[in-house]
Amino acid sequence: MSAFGEVLLLPLSSLILITAFYMQGQEFIRPMIRGQLVQSILLAAISLIMGFITGDYDFIILAVLIVVLRGFLITYFLERGIRKDQSHLHERQVSVAYLFIISLVFVLTAVLIVYSVVFSGIRTESITGNRGILVFPLALFFQGLFLIASRRTTYAQIMGYIEEENAIVLFAVFLLPIPLLIEASVFLDVLALVVISSVVVVEKFTHERVEELRG
Amino acid sequence: MVRIDYVTFTETLLQYFFVVGLSPLFAGIFHRAKSMVESRKGPSIFQPYYDLAKLFKKETLKPAGSGIIFIYAPYVGFGIYSLISLIIPVLIPVPIYFTASADFLGGAILFSLAAFVKVAAAMGSNSNFSALGVSRMLSFNFLSEGTLITVFFAVSLITGTNNPYTTNLFLASNPLQNISIVHIFSTLAFFMLFLYETGRIPLESAGLQELGMIDEAVNYEYSGKLLAINKWNSYIKQYLLGSVLLNVFLVPWGLNAGSPWFLLDVPMMFAKWLLLIGIVLIIETTLAKLRLFRVLDYLATAFTFSILFLIFTEVIA
Repeated sequence: MSAFGEVLLLPLSSLILITAFYMQGQEFIRPMIRGQLVQSILLAAISLIMGFITGDYDFIILAVLIVVLRGFLITYFLERGIRKDQSHLHERQVSVAYLFIISLVFVLTAVLIVYSVVFSGIRTESITGNRGILVFPLALFFQGLFLIASRRTTYAQIMGYIEEENAIVLFAVFLLPIPLLIEASVFLDVLALVVISSVVVVEKFTHERVEELRG
Repeated sequence: MVRIDYVTFTETLLQYFFVVGLSPLFAGIFHRAKSMVESRKGPSIFQPYYDLAKLFKKETLKPAGSGIIFIYAPYVGFGIYSLISLIIPVLIPVPIYFTASADFLGGAILFSLAAFVKVAAAMGSNSNFSALGVSRMLSFNFLSEGTLITVFFAVSLITGTNNPYTTNLFLASNPLQNISIVHIFSTLAFFMLFLYETGRIPLESAGLQELGMIDEAVNYEYSGKLLAINKWNSYIKQYLLGSVLLNVFLVPWGLNAGSPWFLLDVPMMFAKWLLLIGIVLIIETTLAKLRLFRVLDYLATAFTFSILFLIFTEVIA
């Protein structure tokens, strides 16, 4: 991996993580969906750069797929669930400071455990040449998990799920050359899930924790 | 017998008197520039000096029941800030006399000590309103102090030293390090901290005696000479934090050492400060003030980014 590539990849990966924290702290639904859009575009940019660096066309096709499926279709289906007069739609009582600190503790602990326990036992080599860069997809994954666990809105929980998917794609992009067919099928799978979820969102805007225990 | 190096001695005197003497001027320039942006004539750039001179002439009133800490805290604070002004590169980029008193972390701890003395004095004033200000200040400061120390750790990690002068030299001679992730995010976190510590919008509106004020409430019982010293302390603190931001994080270049080149540092620092004033001015005049409870969210964001990218950089390296 060239130094130039690393200079580009690290800030882009950092920006992806920032969008994750932005979505975590965002009360309003529409900006949250836009946050997911930005995150997906950044992911596509990373895939594109990897394509140019490695000369593998699969990465470039993957970037196009991400922009079309994640960037436009998923954003479209999610935003369709919000009526035009509901631009103020938001989740009440989102305590940013509290969520950020807990999320920070959770993400750092999880990432450190993965690094010290899992990565010390198995041999992993990133195609970027720096195994440390895998810390970004891992952190994104756990941040997505925390987003699902910490928020009550159905929208936020779908966002958390998409964020986890983005983390897996980012992990795959950094870790090894990808079988494109699998990636494409995962994308379509998530798209189908989001289409179904957009119906659930209209039916049920928030999920209280106790409700899941009822029959 | 200790031999005095006259160049270092002159540099020390220049740095000290520049910081202590000209720090109110930068506050004056900022207020004047802000007035111009708001289409007002505004006060003279020397207004902070006129205010200080007026307050020094006024009678000092001591609240009933206030303790000895209340009276001596402004002097102690002035002493602490004087020491800090000699141990961090705020004008001269090479070590001067007293620089060896403390390292970067020591500087951060001295800032915390000055804040603690101020809090202890406000609590010793026996005023309910000051106690309210202290309560607010402390509920925010636990995050700001954490960010300050984490940011200094980040700088130490980049350069492998805890000496601010070496850091400045390293960053000035290795331009690529200035665009490393940890440097970018520690700069961002420190800038957010600078806005909070100097009481700028969107965090605090110090110009008005409003409910959202934090720093003004802590000073509420002070009058006359003691208030003047406290205000002077605030100007020096603002200059010190701003200069660390400029010389270690944003623009580490352009400072000279050795006779007679160190004299060029004075116009250079003026130029750097005009840049910083411009940036802060844009933020102050474009953003609305946050509601008081949102200040905690703002500081939590700064803290999260500083610690997250500090640890990630260690993993990536």
